Amino acid sequence: MELLLQTILNGLLMSGVYALVATGLALSLGVVGIVNFAHGEFLMVGAFLSYLLFAFRGTDPLLSLGLAFLAAFGVGALTYQGLIRPALKAPELNQMLLTFGLSILLQNLALLLFGADTRVVAPPYQATTLSLGPFFLGAVPLGAFLLSLAILLGLQVFLTRSRLGLAMRAVSQNRLAPGLLGIEAERVYLLAFGLAAALAGVAGVMLSVMLYASPTVGFIFTLKSFAIVALAGLGNLKGVVPAAFVLALAEALVSTYLPGGGGLVEAVFFLVLFLALVVRAWRLA
Amino acid sequence: MRKVVGFLVLIAGLAWAQIPLKAGVILPLSGASAVSGKAALNGIQLAADEVNAAGKVRLELVVVDDGTDPAKAVPAFTKLMTVDKVDIVIGGLASGVTFALSGPVKQHGPLFLVIGAASSVVEQAFEGYPLFFHYHPWDYHNVAAALQFFQYLNREHGAKKVAILYEDGPFGSAGIGVYRQQLEKLGYQVQAEPFKTGSGQFTAILTRFRAFAPDILYWIGYDVDALPIATQARQVGLRPKLIYGAPPSWPIGFERNPLSNDIAGMTAWLPTVANAESRRFVDAYRKKYGEVTEEYMAPMGYTIVRSLALAAEQAGSADKNRIAEALAGLKMNTPFGPLSFKPSDTGHTKYQGFGPEIWFQFQYLQGSRRPVFPKAVATRPLRYPGEYYFR
Amino acid sequence: MRGANHLPLILLFLPFALLPSLPLGGWGAFLLDVGFFVLLFTALALSWDLVARTGQLSLAHGAFFGLGAYGAGLLAPQVGTLPALLLGAAVAGAGALILGSVTLRLHGLYFAIASLAFSEVLRTLALKLPFTGGPIGLPVPPPFGGTWPLAAYYLSFSVLLLATALSLWAEKSPFRLAQAATRQSEAVARVLGVRVIRVKLWSLLLGSWVAGLAGGVYGMKTLFLSPYDAFSLGRAVEALVIPIFGGLYTTLGPLVGGVVLVSLEQALRLWIKEGYLVVYGAILILVILFLPRGLVGILGRRRG
Repeated sequence: MELLLQTILNGLLMSGVYALVATGLALSLGVVGIVNFAHGEFLMVGAFLSYLLFAFRGTDPLLSLGLAFLAAFGVGALTYQGLIRPALKAPELNQMLLTFGLSILLQNLALLLFGADTRVVAPPYQATTLSLGPFFLGAVPLGAFLLSLAILLGLQVFLTRSRLGLAMRAVSQNRLAPGLLGIEAERVYLLAFGLAAALAGVAGVMLSVMLYASPTVGFIFTLKSFAIVALAGLGNLKGVVPAAFVLALAEALVSTYLPGGGGLVEAVFFLVLFLALVVRAWRLA
Repeated sequence: MRKVVGFLVLIAGLAWAQIPLKAGVILPLSGASAVSGKAALNGIQLAADEVNAAGKVRLELVVVDDGTDPAKAVPAFTKLMTVDKVDIVIGGLASGVTFALSGPVKQHGPLFLVIGAASSVVEQAFEGYPLFFHYHPWDYHNVAAALQFFQYLNREHGAKKVAILYEDGPFGSAGIGVYRQQLEKLGYQVQAEPFKTGSGQFTAILTRFRAFAPDILYWIGYDVDALPIATQARQVGLRPKLIYGAPPSWPIGFERNPLSNDIAGMTAWLPTVANAESRRFVDAYRKKYGEVTEEYMAPMGYTIVRSLALAAEQAGSADKNRIAEALAGLKMNTPFGPLSFKPSDTGHTKYQGFGPEIWFQFQYLQGSRRPVFPKAVATRPLRYPGEYYFR
Repeated sequence: MRGANHLPLILLFLPFALLPSLPLGGWGAFLLDVGFFVLLFTALALSWDLVARTGQLSLAHGAFFGLGAYGAGLLAPQVGTLPALLLGAAVAGAGALILGSVTLRLHGLYFAIASLAFSEVLRTLALKLPFTGGPIGLPVPPPFGGTWPLAAYYLSFSVLLLATALSLWAEKSPFRLAQAATRQSEAVARVLGVRVIRVKLWSLLLGSWVAGLAGGVYGMKTLFLSPYDAFSLGRAVEALVIPIFGGLYTTLGPLVGGVVLVSLEQALRLWIKEGYLVVYGAILILVILFLPRGLVGILGRRRG
């Protein structure tokens, strides 16, 4: 029982960062309508920023969070202006290839600049642990989870209360209506894409503390985010958090209870996704 | 005018006395093994500069990238053989790629000086190929070296339980069966679990290990896994007496991270190794590149080129067969210690350079790595249990 | 009209047919090796396009490739080269039928992600099953006992010819209309009397056969398979990049795209070396921004 609760706790903590990254992807997909393969590269920008500031300025990654938010927002906005906007009306597959090209470009630019080496930061609280009775909670995963939750709540408030946020939701629900309502779709797109990148950038800082920074750090998160977004239902922002939790929990359960389960986490992640997609498709029909 | 002619004659004379060597270099400069590949290339180029400055051999290198991908490596290798027409190839870092090269190598027949490719599957693929010189130890050598350390931990420190985390790719899985069997033979209780490298998710497995209460947490994975294992072991309350890892390279900045304190690892070389060749290498490297490398593939590449030049000099020829003959009988000092070629332990290949003796164990402490085992090379005693045990 | 349509194809294939006999000196063997992979990956791309014409965005082509590679690699020592290749393709086909039959109702990105998930699960199976050689890998014998050095090249060439023939057939027959109707709207296609399920499954099956054959030939060239290489997601993505780059839903598009893109990558790697993929990525972006219909879009525009 104790092990089960600890396992659920582990899954829960991991789901925060997953949800943060995936929400960004869901934003660009739901609002702008872009399948962004370069989403993980925005995460990498955040991770490298955190590493560089720590290595050369001794900046605590906590302080880098805000900076990464802004920097990734900038990169996202630039990407939107330079690449996405001209291709907004292009077929979906062309947009996919465009972002895929960007992903290759950014990854290899990082490789040229920093090399393929894995880089780590060392804030004093990195391995701090809170114990609650028989349970152990890493301070950083817990902090990352809470912060992710707070950011996502803030986003929710923004989307439901502010005018711009409402406009964003309007665009995500109907691509034709905003024009009729006099909403400037382009500004909304720019904001949504920048915000999507910014969320990934913040997640990148968290991951630089929990994992590492390297040119390829974003890849697996792009992949998993696609899985989460698909499970939630494309463009469905509210479904992202539960979907992230389901998949993270599946991972945690398998690696705890299945012998040799550590090697199966990804397979299970995708198996759950596959079954969920298939079941839902048949039920809907 | 006469001066010019004289100069030309002098150059011509020098050129005539020099042995002109052209060698192909095929390394992963992109893809999964790029870190090791670039380190190796730096070492190779440094040695080439030194050889050319010494003047007896004129070495020309043709470098190609294998992309850590068989589909890219095969054409790149063929280009070396047929377009650049080299007779000598240095390379073969990743095992899978080297295996894919076994067909083309046998077809074109170059002198193949292999820098990595530790998997014994590669050894079988090159069985019977007469010009195969393998410098790096085989995977069974690596296992043997680690087992020596485990034997010592068992005998001197009373360690009895090992929990093994191994990545489920070829690197981690290759020796796992042998490890388990041999460790049990040494009297250890063993629990082994696979993981996905780079996933950073160890909490579940480590939580499970807690009930087992291992003395040693041994992980076979990559640099990306080093920090997550160190932090998550603490976070789940696992308290091994030794965290011991064997990745091909370690993360940059790890030594400055207090969590690395007392973590032990295995390597073939460190810049602080106290032999004359190594010190010379480190100085020359710093002079050329302005920094010190920690990757043992750099001196490995350096060693290969130095030995090639020496063999060519002794053979007095650029012919690959005569160089191979000279290499076979060569004895030289390297940053790793003495090098000479002998048949491999399994008898599959005839020219094996280094063996288990070049591996040693080190421990991180306050920003540096120092050898701690075997005793002959240790510069400070092993801290056992490590500080993570006392938390 | 028909003859004129085939001219670009013939111009494209001729150099590859002649390549083994051209007096290229030292470059000959190298070009043959590059040519091998150009032909093979182009065939894979064409097989992807064949499926994409029904609106199914497959990310499982890496898995079909891997199934074919492992199937052929495991069977070749027992049954010989050609039967092994065919059986490997059959294994890939079986995989496609399983995937296709459960994902019939998934569209667009949902199908893409389901096929991605399928592919990831299969790779794990290849890692864990007892007879695949696991993570250490599987040695594969060269084709026909290695007696004929050009065998792999011609096998690769044949796979591409087969893929082209299939694609041309699909383009010229009523099947094309069925595919296009299915792609644009399954509901409308049904009303028009198209058997949507059958069209989708057949397309996936044909595509997987070609991909499986390509995988089998790949193993016989590299002589070694590992799950991470054979089932690589990168390969699935390459299969999708090439047709978009060259021009979708045509035979010529993936062909031109494959020949240009695979050669380009090899050339960039040899001549730029470090950071060549930055240039590669930039080229992809530029082509999409300025040639939205792919490389063959230029031809189309000129024809009016």
